Amino acid sequence: MFSAYLDFIRIRFLMMLAYRVNYYSGILIYTLNIGVYYFTWQAIYGSQQTLGGFTADQMTTYVAVSWMARAFYFNNLDREIANDIRDGSVAIQFIRPYNYVFVKMMQGLGEGLFRLLLFMGPGMIIACILFPVKLPTDPAAWTAFLFMLLMSFLINSQINIFTGLLSFFVENNEGMMRMKRVLVDLFSGVIVPISLFPGWLSGIMKFLPFQAITFLPSSVFTGRIQGTGIWQVLGIQLLWFTILILPIFLMWRSARHRLFVQGG
Amino acid sequence: MVFYTSLIWEYMKNYIKTKLTYRADFWVEVLSDLLFQATNLIFILVIFQHTDSLGGWSEAEVVFVYGYFMIPYGIFMSFINLWGFSERYIVKGEMDRVLTRPAHSLFQVILENIDPPSIIGSFVGAVILGICWVQLDIPFGIVELLVLIVMVIGSVMIYTGVYTALTAISFFSDAPTGILPLMFNIQGYGRYPITIYNRLIQVVLTWIAPFAFVGVYPASYFLDQEITKSFALLTPVMGIVFLTGGILFWNYGVRKYRGAGS
Amino acid sequence: MLAIDVKDLRKEFNVQKNREGVKGAMLDLFRREYTKVRAVKDISFQIPKGEICGYIGENGAGKSTTIKMLTGILVPTSGDIRVNGFVPYQEREKFVRGIGVVFGQRSQLWWDIGVIESFQLLRKVYRVPEAEFKKRLDELVERLQLQDLLNRPVRKLSLGQRMRCELVASLLHNPSIVFLDEPTIGLDIVVKTEIREFLKQMNQRYETTILLTTHDLQDIEALCSRVIMLDDGRIIYDGGLDELKAKWGKGREVHFQFAAPFQLEQLQFLTAGLEVAWSIENEYTAKVWIPLEVNVSDVLSRVVGTTEITDIKIIETNTDDIVREIYKSGSAEESKLHLLGEEKVSNV
Repeated sequence: MFSAYLDFIRIRFLMMLAYRVNYYSGILIYTLNIGVYYFTWQAIYGSQQTLGGFTADQMTTYVAVSWMARAFYFNNLDREIANDIRDGSVAIQFIRPYNYVFVKMMQGLGEGLFRLLLFMGPGMIIACILFPVKLPTDPAAWTAFLFMLLMSFLINSQINIFTGLLSFFVENNEGMMRMKRVLVDLFSGVIVPISLFPGWLSGIMKFLPFQAITFLPSSVFTGRIQGTGIWQVLGIQLLWFTILILPIFLMWRSARHRLFVQGG
Repeated sequence: MVFYTSLIWEYMKNYIKTKLTYRADFWVEVLSDLLFQATNLIFILVIFQHTDSLGGWSEAEVVFVYGYFMIPYGIFMSFINLWGFSERYIVKGEMDRVLTRPAHSLFQVILENIDPPSIIGSFVGAVILGICWVQLDIPFGIVELLVLIVMVIGSVMIYTGVYTALTAISFFSDAPTGILPLMFNIQGYGRYPITIYNRLIQVVLTWIAPFAFVGVYPASYFLDQEITKSFALLTPVMGIVFLTGGILFWNYGVRKYRGAGS
Repeated sequence: MLAIDVKDLRKEFNVQKNREGVKGAMLDLFRREYTKVRAVKDISFQIPKGEICGYIGENGAGKSTTIKMLTGILVPTSGDIRVNGFVPYQEREKFVRGIGVVFGQRSQLWWDIGVIESFQLLRKVYRVPEAEFKKRLDELVERLQLQDLLNRPVRKLSLGQRMRCELVASLLHNPSIVFLDEPTIGLDIVVKTEIREFLKQMNQRYETTILLTTHDLQDIEALCSRVIMLDDGRIIYDGGLDELKAKWGKGREVHFQFAAPFQLEQLQFLTAGLEVAWSIENEYTAKVWIPLEVNVSDVLSRVVGTTEITDIKIIETNTDDIVREIYKSGSAEESKLHLLGEEKVSNV
């Protein structure tokens, strides 16, 4: 059974490989994204030493790492699920001998691995050459980061799956999905580190799962959070991962109920 | 020309009739559109909490550019909405149907996908622009209005040209998603003072993916920023060049599609 | 006058080769390999104005590719096409105003709004004058009984209703040539008959030339005076339906049910001298296969008088069987040569 799930990773990976225009332009555009944010932040820093607890150098690394992390955890699972629900093919998924949500998760992982190896890898090298990105040398930091990256992926995918499954209950989910995308990009800290938000907003952020996707792991990796703080970040990620299982489970159960008892 | 104008109206009528059947979605869509736009505004607002100027531009000036950008962008989004092209026309084969109809294929595809609610973004942009206009104490008369209109038209043409060309890549590539979503990230960068970027990115945003002409260049015509002012007047010229290029590339793509088939 | 004139038409596609596995996919990312596939192999045919011609062949035989070239969607690799006096792929916009196309599997109507709105839009696209449009629409609507459907959104129509609307949509501008790609696919027998009747009538009234592809040979039998059969990109038969039957229909079969048990030898003895083949199913029923050269009545007269029979069934080989037979042997070189040879003889 487990090997079947592994195969979903492999197939998605192969699918991604098939589209090479996407691939080439993807690397180019991710690099450009990092470049643009790098220069924007340079201009913002101007003569200032630190902003929101980041030095200019840390910010550069933060931007590069955050975008690269985004390449890994970003996926369109919400859209895929919503499409499956709308065109009715989700009913077929119910009769297959596997768990649909896990399969989606695995497909997302296949896509993520593809981007990790073929986007993030080359992209990171290019970014390191072009911009003063300082990556840690401590292998412990790398281990922690890779693990946190996996957690970012899981939490982001959970949010996506949750949004996608909403299609069972609302007629047009398009607006919801778009809003989710904006919220994740904005509040996860890819565009602006959360510590730069006005106090009240970053206060609210502490109680939402988004910061666990980018802001916290990238803070660890850039060295802004150290020591016991790292364990705290891990704790927060694990906590959100666990918390988010519940609504997905409940929604999935009631979706099944709806499909089987009420006939869709 | 008369023929094509009457077609626009006809397609528009059908759009409205379609939309009236799903009224609730309308506002959700408008709202999420605006929220999508707001990301960058929030970025600007957050940044200026921590600094007074961005490469010599004040907050009001940067927001002014942002407001300007929203006007052509809203027009573009409501008329040229090519997001699902590859999926719908190439993969599902609707391009064949388009090619059996007696009107230019690009025109048909565009009209089949118009999305008028996006125009609301233009109004919001105009309001933002107006507020900054007053704040910055820029004179306003008939000349400024005419220039603004010409600039907006130029910007829309650039957008249309670039996205037409990008969409036409679907004729060559087998990628179902296309590279449009990736491009979507870049387009925002034309809204920041271009001088803060290094040479290479400036060149890209000026000549290759000329999104600076959909934001900072034309807007700077009204602002007191001498560096980019000369570029402002290039906006309509670039518009013509890129629109022509985009259409030519589209035609080339269609030729290729008809040669290679599916 | 010729409606369609095709000479040495050829179409080649570059098909991408996908290498296997992760390693192969990686290699594909940097260097693609293509193979050239010839979908249509130098075919020639002519269709005079006002003819209804069936274009048949198995899936992948090249039917759709030909239709796409004839309608100006695809540009041929080589060869000449003239449709309605135009070269379809040049002057596309002018050319398509004179043709109508229905792709049975794809809709040309707006999904969410009333059918009539789509018609209105097509009127504009094809620049049909208002008065002419009204007259034409009324006629089509009445003929196909669409009065009650006009204001219904397409998504609320049944497949049969939708297909009737698709037909109207493609005929509003009164095209002189109509291409129908599987127009009856998935329809029930009543709607099929209705559509066939309609097409026949239209052909008679307006002298509309119709080229249709189908997998349903009853479409062909009901409509077409002529059939072009395609196999692997080549024309393997072009001619009347009757000749097709005559040439390929190998014989008939008669089923007997006897009142008393019988022996195979008895039956063979009865028909001795005639080139027929008996086979038995059980001791009460038997089949005899009679080639075209032998009269059925000869066989019957010999059997009927001598044995007590409870039931007789005569079965003609139908077109389905014939075509299946041709398809089956079509890829075998020998039978194709045989067929082409025969045609050459008949041309001489």
